[in-house]
Amino acid sequence: MSLKLTRTPRTAVLGLCLALLAGLLSGCTGDSGKETIRFTFSKREAIGFMTKLVADYNASQDSTEVILDTSGVDVVSASFVRGNPPDIALANYNMETARFVQRGALSDLSGTQAATRVRKDLQPLMDQYGSYPDRTSALPYSVMASSVIYNKEIFAAHGIEVPETWSELLAACDALKAAGVTPFYATWKDDWTVAQGWFDYSVGGQLDTLDFFDKLAEAGTDVGPDSPASFQKDFEQPVEKMLKLAGTYVNKDAASRGYGDGNLAFSQGKAAMYLQGPWAFSEIAKTAPDLQLGTFPLPMTENPEDLRVRVNVDLAAWIPEESKHKEAARAFLEYLYQPEIIEAYNKSQLGFTPTTDADAAPDPRIEGMVEYYDKGSVYQGPSVLVPRTIPIMNYTQALVLGADPAATFRTLDADWARLAFRQ
Amino acid sequence: MSTTTATRRGQGRPESRSRRRVEPIFYFFLLPSLVLFTLAITVPGLVGIFFSFTDSIGIGDWEFAGLTNYIAIFSDPAILQSYLFTFGFSIVTVLVVNVIAFLLAVGLTSQIRMKTALRTIFVIPMVVSGIIIAYVFNFLFSNSLPSAGAAAGISWLETSLLANPDLAWIAIVVVTAWQAVPGALLIYIAGLVSIPGDVYEAAEIDGASKFQQLLKITAPLVAGYVVINIILGFKGFLNAYDIIVGLTNGGPGTSTRSIAMTVIAGFNGGDYAYQMANATIFFVVAVLISLLQLSLTRGRNTL
Repeated sequence: MSLKLTRTPRTAVLGLCLALLAGLLSGCTGDSGKETIRFTFSKREAIGFMTKLVADYNASQDSTEVILDTSGVDVVSASFVRGNPPDIALANYNMETARFVQRGALSDLSGTQAATRVRKDLQPLMDQYGSYPDRTSALPYSVMASSVIYNKEIFAAHGIEVPETWSELLAACDALKAAGVTPFYATWKDDWTVAQGWFDYSVGGQLDTLDFFDKLAEAGTDVGPDSPASFQKDFEQPVEKMLKLAGTYVNKDAASRGYGDGNLAFSQGKAAMYLQGPWAFSEIAKTAPDLQLGTFPLPMTENPEDLRVRVNVDLAAWIPEESKHKEAARAFLEYLYQPEIIEAYNKSQLGFTPTTDADAAPDPRIEGMVEYYDKGSVYQGPSVLVPRTIPIMNYTQALVLGADPAATFRTLDADWARLAFRQ
Repeated sequence: MSTTTATRRGQGRPESRSRRRVEPIFYFFLLPSLVLFTLAITVPGLVGIFFSFTDSIGIGDWEFAGLTNYIAIFSDPAILQSYLFTFGFSIVTVLVVNVIAFLLAVGLTSQIRMKTALRTIFVIPMVVSGIIIAYVFNFLFSNSLPSAGAAAGISWLETSLLANPDLAWIAIVVVTAWQAVPGALLIYIAGLVSIPGDVYEAAEIDGASKFQQLLKITAPLVAGYVVINIILGFKGFLNAYDIIVGLTNGGPGTSTRSIAMTVIAGFNGGDYAYQMANATIFFVVAVLISLLQLSLTRGRNTL
């Protein structure tokens, strides 16, 4: 090829690169010259609250412009892979975030004011997902306890007391059913509602999940019928009880109902109990603000001492190592942890504030769980302790829709062993 | 290629000089696509294949893992199931789409009233985004059909098709076909219009019935278009993703997880290297299928 030929494409490539570069650069600074930080938050029940909070913060100072990004968990994970993570996030703390922690993708927050005010006794909840040496990779922002939500008006109308044992629960369900009331409203179309409610409450109420997963991790590639702990041995009993409830006491159209349908139906009094976390309260309140609701731990054994509630770090704050605006992000973090803000947030979402200076004045709707939370009768749900690459939510959905439990748990054991083999 | 150059070179100067003087503008046309294709497809593809031999989760530190991922894949029933599902789904859908599209095209090229208006209506599904179609149909399957079933007293209609692990794939075929028919339809219409009218006239004179004309004239003369539609359709359906996500999200249980969904789940769920190995295998399978299709169709039915 002659020189003339190469020059034309070279100019074209140069022009292309310049155009790309211009696009990249303009992304860094806002039009007003403020430093722009991207704040990821995708808890849909609280987006209204956060939108207002971000607007207030942007109005309160001139140096930083916070942009609220609500595009969701999957997008955030992908952004890490692409090397373009958000500058700060408040996100559900689970196995998903744990990966970022374990591989050192999150920056150290131990020097912040906020870190000194976080309750130390909550650390086990965070550490359960692993840690990175000499770093405080994430700070808890909102702890949620979840258990059975029940309609106090329906319970009172039929003279039913809150059950404390498995047989009392069955008796209550039978009484409701006899009176023509659907005992549980189930929303099996959304697999996560099966996993976090039906599956976690049933298994967590009967099994020491922490101990189980420790043993499972130890067994690694050997997980199977002969290992000290395995899904097929330890989960079959608890799940049998779950299937008893799921097969007898739910709405007829459970398989085609989703989370949104469930909130609406429950607010209309179409069932007495609902296996959802406190995040559902604000959704239910949209259509029935005055409905009398309460909570109680799902009794799965005959011993009231076994009653426990499921807890999780619903939101944790973290700042990625790769963020180019760490200082601005940390300033916003301190703002988020100001007592009046973090408490207002948790009050609005019925969560527990994880700071030492928080005053505990629980909403009547979550009063039923405070006792258990305070004395530490809590567990983390098994569904959140399984790595996300194993489709545990799909499996639990298959279970309530009629899949064979023994076969499902054999698959789960094999998945676990295979994951241990390659990681 | 080399033989032609050799013969041409032997034919003296003027010829070879004119060959060398290709208009530079042609290279200029090729260049942007070549650069973009390399940067956006080839390079990431090679990077992905490289990472399939590591234990990377997409971020942070990683180590070489040799063939570990590939060994694990071949013993993974979930991956095997996703391949079975995807291929079964693609074959059924390609048949459904082509039969419907062909019959519609025959109807829409014959002498009927409001031909243009009808063609427009049938093409509309093509311009709507897949995920939107999926959510609309999701609502129809989960709410409208069951209530209609309840009202009419048809008990099997009362539970959603999407909630049945054995039948949910049918819903996916229906919705995918609904979206894919217009594309195939347009190609068939083009094919049918290109058949000269005089062959039909001749057939008419010879006393062939309309049905015989369809079988003996129309069908053979659009055979090339059938091949095109089947190849394009099959290739597209193997990558099924958006409609499944909107309809069942792989459920109920794991009954409708396509290959693309398992690959993306690895991207999102910390299994990057493993699913890159899966994607590499999928790539090899796709190349094999393309070669098979090429060899089957070479020579015949070329357009």
